[in-house]
Amino acid sequence: MKPLTVPGTLDALGAIANYTIAATQKAGLEKETAYNLRLAVDEIVTNIITHGYISTNCTGEVYIQAILDEDTLTIQIEDTAIAYDPTRKPAPRDLTLPLEQRQVGGLGVFLAIQGVDRFVYERANGRNRNRLIVKRRKCDGGTG
Amino acid sequence: MNIQIKTNQSVTIAELVGDLDANTAAEVQQQILPLAKPGSKILLDMTQVQYMSSAGLRMLLSLYRRVNTAQSKLILVGLAEEIRKTLKMTGFLDFFTTCETIELGLRTIQ
Repeated sequence: MKPLTVPGTLDALGAIANYTIAATQKAGLEKETAYNLRLAVDEIVTNIITHGYISTNCTGEVYIQAILDEDTLTIQIEDTAIAYDPTRKPAPRDLTLPLEQRQVGGLGVFLAIQGVDRFVYERANGRNRNRLIVKRRKCDGGTG
Repeated sequence: MNIQIKTNQSVTIAELVGDLDANTAAEVQQQILPLAKPGSKILLDMTQVQYMSSAGLRMLLSLYRRVNTAQSKLILVGLAEEIRKTLKMTGFLDFFTTCETIELGLRTIQ
């Protein structure tokens, strides 16, 4: 699919969602797989915009591209904000705590990584690149 | 995101229509949190919310705390299957009362 470039503001989340949904439809993903990928992309892009751009007073863009091959759909997200590797973030440890004692936030990256089959991060040419990869079909005998 | 707030038999029904993401959750929080007054009964109708990100979880966490402090009651109505899964996966689900429909919600909260 043609790539999409949006400004690094929260108003752009709707356009990103529409792009991701179109890609999941093109890939013929099952409903749950499609939802989880949309959620993963939304969480990662939200992080880039809020922590990468807004809270550092930087402006920038988010570059998104869907790449389809026979077995997988990849959504590639790039930005020019400070280096940040979501895969190094430890999983939240307090998921069983009562809500009174929870930290606010920190669940987005967890949901993103849980929601895809493979999550690849790299920093190259002054950009963060997050690749979110899902299989287009469940393998036979897979328990999902 | 469209937010409609109405009252039915001393119960406040807050109906959300649209996606709950980082762009819309702040507005929802602004409008919904003040409904948690001492003794109030709130049905948060999410029947027409098909999508919720962690920004929605944060909003629900703030609402939960406000409801507890005010000793009011809250029921989440009409959760989509995927949203229920997100709540379950993050350990939120057990802390909320949920109902399928507004009718059931009204009966449960009275």
